[in-house]
Amino acid sequence: MRHGRAFWLFVGPFAIGLLVFVYVPIGWSLLLSFFDARNTVTPSEFVGLRNYADMLTDGPFLRSLGTFSVFAAFIVPLTFVLALALALLLSQISFMQTFFRSVFFLPTACSYVVASLVWKLSIFNGTRSGLANTVLGWFGADPVAWTVSTSPPWYWLVLVTLRLWLQLGFYLILFLAGLQRIPHVLYEAAALDGARSWQTFRFVTLPQLRTTSIAVLLLLLIGAYQAFDEFYNVLGTDHGYPPFARPPLIYLYYTALGSGGQDFGHGTAGAVILTLVIAGATLLQGRVITR
Amino acid sequence: MKWLRYLALSITAVLFLLPFYLLLRNGLATEQEIASPTWTFWPSEIHWENFTELFGNPAVPMVRSMTNSLVIAVSQTFGQLLLCGLAGYGLARIPYRYANVVLYLVIATLMIPAAVTFVPTFVVVSTLGWLSDLRGLVVPGLFSGFTTFLFRQYFRNFPRELEEAARIDGLGHWGTYWRVVVPNSKGFFAALGVIAFVTSWNQFLWPLVIAQDQDSWTVQVALSTFLTAQSIDVVQLFFAAAVSITPLVVVFVALQRFLVRSVVETGIKD
Amino acid sequence: MISRRRLLSLAGASALLAACGSNTGRGGNGQALKQWYHAYGEPGVQQAVERYAKAYSKTPVDVQWNPGDYDSKLATSLLSDGGPDVFESTLQISSVRAGQVVPLDDVFGAARSDFAESILATHTVDGKVYGVPQAVDMQMLFYRKSMFAAAGVQQPSTVDELVDASKRLTRNGVKGLFAGNDGGGAVLGGPALWSAGLDYVRDHQVGFDDPVAAQAIGKLRELYTSGSLLLGAVKDWAEPDAFTQGLVAMQWTGLWTVPAIQKALGDDFGVLPFPKLTSTGRPSVPVGAYGAMVNARSKRVDEAKEFVRWLWIEKTDYQEDFNLSYGFHIPPRKSIAEKASKLASGAAADAVKFVRDNAKASNPPDWTSVMRTAFNDAVSRVVRDGAPADQELKGAAGTVRDELKRLYG
Repeated sequence: MRHGRAFWLFVGPFAIGLLVFVYVPIGWSLLLSFFDARNTVTPSEFVGLRNYADMLTDGPFLRSLGTFSVFAAFIVPLTFVLALALALLLSQISFMQTFFRSVFFLPTACSYVVASLVWKLSIFNGTRSGLANTVLGWFGADPVAWTVSTSPPWYWLVLVTLRLWLQLGFYLILFLAGLQRIPHVLYEAAALDGARSWQTFRFVTLPQLRTTSIAVLLLLLIGAYQAFDEFYNVLGTDHGYPPFARPPLIYLYYTALGSGGQDFGHGTAGAVILTLVIAGATLLQGRVITR
Repeated sequence: MKWLRYLALSITAVLFLLPFYLLLRNGLATEQEIASPTWTFWPSEIHWENFTELFGNPAVPMVRSMTNSLVIAVSQTFGQLLLCGLAGYGLARIPYRYANVVLYLVIATLMIPAAVTFVPTFVVVSTLGWLSDLRGLVVPGLFSGFTTFLFRQYFRNFPRELEEAARIDGLGHWGTYWRVVVPNSKGFFAALGVIAFVTSWNQFLWPLVIAQDQDSWTVQVALSTFLTAQSIDVVQLFFAAAVSITPLVVVFVALQRFLVRSVVETGIKD
Repeated sequence: MISRRRLLSLAGASALLAACGSNTGRGGNGQALKQWYHAYGEPGVQQAVERYAKAYSKTPVDVQWNPGDYDSKLATSLLSDGGPDVFESTLQISSVRAGQVVPLDDVFGAARSDFAESILATHTVDGKVYGVPQAVDMQMLFYRKSMFAAAGVQQPSTVDELVDASKRLTRNGVKGLFAGNDGGGAVLGGPALWSAGLDYVRDHQVGFDDPVAAQAIGKLRELYTSGSLLLGAVKDWAEPDAFTQGLVAMQWTGLWTVPAIQKALGDDFGVLPFPKLTSTGRPSVPVGAYGAMVNARSKRVDEAKEFVRWLWIEKTDYQEDFNLSYGFHIPPRKSIAEKASKLASGAAADAVKFVRDNAKASNPPDWTSVMRTAFNDAVSRVVRDGAPADQELKGAAGTVRDELKRLYG
């Protein structure tokens, strides 16, 4: 009983806030998903599972889920490998290590709004004044409309490089921390056994980083499915969002908050489906890794 | 071999710094220079008057909005450290029958995108009468499942010996937490504080909807005024963006050794 | 059944929440009416609307200027009690059906006949008017006379001539046409339909369920693949920069850019409607108007209506000032538009003529976001991805039909 009181003394204030500002809205959203809730959050027409059935047969929504499964399958390993590679490189040098670490970490300070601005208007703008097109121009190539072209879909290059720039530093630090925790004796033992550097990496470093890796992969996966900000700012226009590289959350955002009709029933039903997909992908990933 | 490493790192570093260079270059140039098909490495003449123009622009209250962002970010940072720190400790260290239930409820929130519960949260806040109010901007962001989860992981690895010594001195959970655990975890608090500060400073959608009066705009909302449909002033936009990230860059450079050290100490191990 | 009880407990919960939050005295009597505008780009508009509000003697009015995604912000706010009393917006049938806006027929009085009928129609649902038009905006095709002369190109009067002109004007590093960074997918979909005598929705039926629609949208694809479109410019179609900087010979943009273009190019430009494609089609210009509306959740609907009446009906000099002193809009009241000297000559006079003869609602009230998304997606995929136009449009027509069935039964 004493423990119970102490527990709530510590956890209580947070738990109350979580209840009011997180769980009440979640419950409310869940409730809305069973109603015909157009332009209202206090609907009266109960429709059962109809919104779910509609969303599960809704072409654009399913396509966006598919696209973002591919996106996740791409960006998650890519960020993982690059962050790990940079962390390994950094851990092997001593001169200027802090400097490089600071540089790689600095983008974490930027907002997606600011990064989108630089990417869209400066690096990848479609005229000759853009940086990427200037570089192409040095080789005599014609300017490319990076955010417009769908064949090849250059907009992926824009979005992926932006995301990498913003998030690599954070994961790099996580890996760096993981690397520093590996006991030195393990490396010494490996060196005594005459292990080559690849073997050391494969049989010492990687297994020792297992928990860090799982955390990184989990965060990356959730982040990939929840992509919103940079897509919205780079590809979105005041006339809505094109049917290419459309994240599920953007589709739901326009469904629930689009001008010309806020459909919270379908929007929240889609959100529940998305949450289940994320949970499923997380479990699947955990399964694969622990194998 | 060694020079190869430095070469690889240097190239990456240049790529990472490139966007910062572009922010400054575009923010200090003229529109003609930015739109010119021939690349100018640096504006032929630095237009420092962009600075006075931006801060003197009545349509975009830069000073006010940066102050607002600062107040919000600071109160959210300290509020989160207080509330989530306590909760994380309770979850990690106080044995209680339903502790696991609470923990799962915290973890579950990580998977639910904020954009999904956005509208009901708005209705809750407006029911409380907190629109255009500091409380509406600060309070809903205090209850971060992510921060609590990280705290809990960290406290699980906190050396038990220290706590037991405190226990022998007759301190309860509360006394132990404040007198022993917190003073020995400054680095970790600083690390999560920086993350909380950055997240708060950079959030956009929530303040856009909640901060309805111009007087309660945050710096990200002020930035978005430059993006309105009918006239983008590209130079001012870049300059304002550069100004908006300056406080964070300063905080980062100053505090990042804390960050790294404390991430080392945390439990991104189970 | 379950709903009623659940909802009651929900209402109870929110009442409790309201009790918890200390009331700082927002709302209640003697308070100012809240009026919302989106952030107009032209300098001076904000000061002007604040000045108007201050001049109102019956009730204090607080003007709020909203940058960023105004539509979403407004939509969210209208769901709670924290929204504005008076706001500007375009009318959507969903807001009417949800009872979010108040009919304003009695506000107009005798002035009703003075408003342009085509504009009033965009604020009318089921015979009731819900918005008092504030300023008319329209889009049209701007072209450089000198570049036309140099390339020996005539003003295009059909879509085929437009495609041909765009190709021939693409020379010396200048592109033929700029119609948005997405290649026109977003802004030219409607004009393409109208060019073939079709429409978004017509008499509660799908307006583009016709083989000719595929041909019309196919023309946009032809433009896109011709290599004569400017794509990926720094500023999008709504701003005149690509045109004034000489990057293109033609640009699709709005009336609001006329002052900037005049300043940069003097007389070296002209304006045209989007041309017709078939003999049954007609040239067109998309037209829309923000209207002043009253929030049905406002606790002071009558005061709000009275303010709207005063500001947008009675104070005709404000309407004139609002439309003509800052950017460039057409006053929705014929009597004001006719005597405006700024609209008497040049491109502005042409624009007024187009609005009279060729106006099409850019965003009719019953063109819902579901329909718009379906249609714009289809156009985007055809134009940018080369998807088969007939299939894509058939799919979109299906979505629109379902949505119309839901609306009208």
